[in-house]
Amino acid sequence: MATATGVYHTTYGRDFALRHTRAEYARLALLGAFAVVLPFTLDKYWLSYVNLILLAAVAAVGLMILTGYTGLISLATAGFLGVGAYTTANITTRLHWPMPVGVLCGTVLAAAIGAVFGLPALRVKGLYLAISTFAAQAILNNRFRDWPWLVQGHFSIGAKTPAIGHHVMRSDFEWYWLLLVITGFVVWGGVNLFRTGFGRALIAIRDQDIAAEVIGVEVGRYKVMAFSIACGLAGFAGALQAHYRNVVTWERYDFDTSFLFVAMIIVGGLGSVSGAVYGAAFMTWVPAYITRVGQGIQQGSSGTPFIIRELPAIQLGLFGVVIVAFLLFEPRGLARLWQRAKDYFRIWPFRY
Amino acid sequence: MNRYARKLAVVLSLALIVGVGCGKDNKNKSASKTNAPTKADIKVGAIFDLSGATADVGTPFSEGIRDYVEYKNSQGGVEGHKVALTFQDYGYKVPQAEQLYSQYVSQGAKVFMGWGTGDTEALRPKVNADMIPFMSASYAETLADPKVTPFNFFPGASYSQQMRIALQWISDQNKGKHIEVAVFHHDSAFGTSPLDDGKKYIADHKLNIGFKDYAMTAGATDFIAQIGQAKTQQAKYIIVQNVASPAAKLATNLASEKSTAQLMCLNWCADELFVKLAGPAAEKMIGVMPFAPPVEGTQGLDEINNFLKAKNTTAKDKGLHYVQGWYTMATMTQGIDNAIKANGDNPTGEQIKAGLEKISDFKTGVSDPISFSADYHAGLTSAPLYQVTGGAFKKISDPIKVTK
Repeated sequence: MATATGVYHTTYGRDFALRHTRAEYARLALLGAFAVVLPFTLDKYWLSYVNLILLAAVAAVGLMILTGYTGLISLATAGFLGVGAYTTANITTRLHWPMPVGVLCGTVLAAAIGAVFGLPALRVKGLYLAISTFAAQAILNNRFRDWPWLVQGHFSIGAKTPAIGHHVMRSDFEWYWLLLVITGFVVWGGVNLFRTGFGRALIAIRDQDIAAEVIGVEVGRYKVMAFSIACGLAGFAGALQAHYRNVVTWERYDFDTSFLFVAMIIVGGLGSVSGAVYGAAFMTWVPAYITRVGQGIQQGSSGTPFIIRELPAIQLGLFGVVIVAFLLFEPRGLARLWQRAKDYFRIWPFRY
Repeated sequence: MNRYARKLAVVLSLALIVGVGCGKDNKNKSASKTNAPTKADIKVGAIFDLSGATADVGTPFSEGIRDYVEYKNSQGGVEGHKVALTFQDYGYKVPQAEQLYSQYVSQGAKVFMGWGTGDTEALRPKVNADMIPFMSASYAETLADPKVTPFNFFPGASYSQQMRIALQWISDQNKGKHIEVAVFHHDSAFGTSPLDDGKKYIADHKLNIGFKDYAMTAGATDFIAQIGQAKTQQAKYIIVQNVASPAAKLATNLASEKSTAQLMCLNWCADELFVKLAGPAAEKMIGVMPFAPPVEGTQGLDEINNFLKAKNTTAKDKGLHYVQGWYTMATMTQGIDNAIKANGDNPTGEQIKAGLEKISDFKTGVSDPISFSADYHAGLTSAPLYQVTGGAFKKISDPIKVTK
């Protein structure tokens, strides 16, 4: 938060505002302009990745609320993405209900199941809780795989592309606007959540749960609610993703994906909602970029089987190196990096 | 730390700029390609498994497809159109397949060369909506019915059909005596694809066969446990629906367990790779092989051998799956050719589909002639049986035809 000098709050409204200076509003306007111009400048390939980033950001904000603000770790994000996806796929393809109903049901069911799997948080913390959410991930993924009725006897189920009247919303361009609005709302809600009593209670639990209980926070209830919100948002993202990608398969909801989300919020910067968005962007964009470069090498080469064979491994390795570099140079994540960049320009030419 | 952070930020933003620049370059390149003076390219998207669970057979298959495209373009392309193949390894992962399919179709791919059963089945709704003719290396029978999947094709005999052939042959060999059969399958949509149809065939044709299936977990170090169960079942025959490497592991395990059961492989594990990996344990394995190995003297491989001469190799060295990939691409190309002849230079997906359905008695060097029709999208219905003797495949039965 940039604190320029000479900013005095003369009303309660000004005091509560998220942004205090003109520069901050200018930046917000720039960001808005960027979001509007972006889809016109990108080709379909990159635009589809922007959409995936927006989707990931929804679930990452949820996980940030749970892990970054409440201090409860969850390794089951992918499982709850799956709950949302399978719910809406089944509701829309079997009952032929409209997509918004399916997405809503997916969100609610994911939140409910999330609350159940959040119950161990009442008794255990830290690594023990991580393991119990790991179990949730295993159980959910196993059910996606082995309940034939969930996928009508096949290994995957399709989710319909939504239609408004006779117009089928198939293009990435249309999805971009829908997802931009949705992600915008989720981020806005996330930022504001921690300005309410509820959000402050969560932060109190993270900082010291016994102290929180002493000052009158119902720790158990808040913990379960945090789980519920995080899993609900994951289910919401999963349901939207199902309709966006059309294919619901258990392979999308495995451990790797759950870890990716944890990596997102760590790289983004724990304890920052905007960090969740940066993390989602970074962790989606970097592998996609590495893959794209890899594709270029593959197309260009006709007879170098070694490169082609080893490329997936090289891609994973590079991805790992980037993350390690991050943790070495800026363990507090992209959000902190952005903060430093802002500070640097604000106080230039002085060092501090 | 502050200095490090600043440096990192600079590096990152540079990477971003370079990245955007590269992205633009690619676009310009492909644009200039399509504007070339010759007829417009025919864009073909493809996914190959070069690193996943089926990479052992996926790699030679992909080489076959790529080499056929190179060969075809050197011969002047399809009716003067160059075939522009874009492909990527997808590691046998459905989400990857979906991502790549969407990418290639949005970049203008006219037709698509798929690979596995799981991903091809998952892509069905999208393929139907996009009307993209889709040729898979998966021979799952669910993909052969144009009423459900009008744009899916595959050149082989379906897994279900291969299973029926194997069961019928077993029944005929034993003259109606009761026989227990154990089916070992890949733990995926690919592996389970022929199971239900096999059971149904036994019931419908009142074969005196006991049928049990066992999943071969991916990455397992051995299959001793499943072999034990099959022994308890008193299985006389073991049918394998998997790729070559795990099947070879199974064969070695069977040998070390001193099992006397007769091993039978469906098409993705009955190949030279199996023989090479299993060594002496491969002896006597019987393969249901719609595509036969390209051994010396196989008719109709001249085209491939002439092409490979420049690369100092032969179809025999490249193996069965290479030839299979070659002819899979050749079949697709034939369909496009038919469509261009009938409809002019820019055929739609539906016209290419019609072009593929027109293919009949398409000769390959290693199988019965391939035919499609408007109501069946599998290229073959029969398959001969081969047996490994002295490390080579010997034909033991002419193509067997069975009815559902």
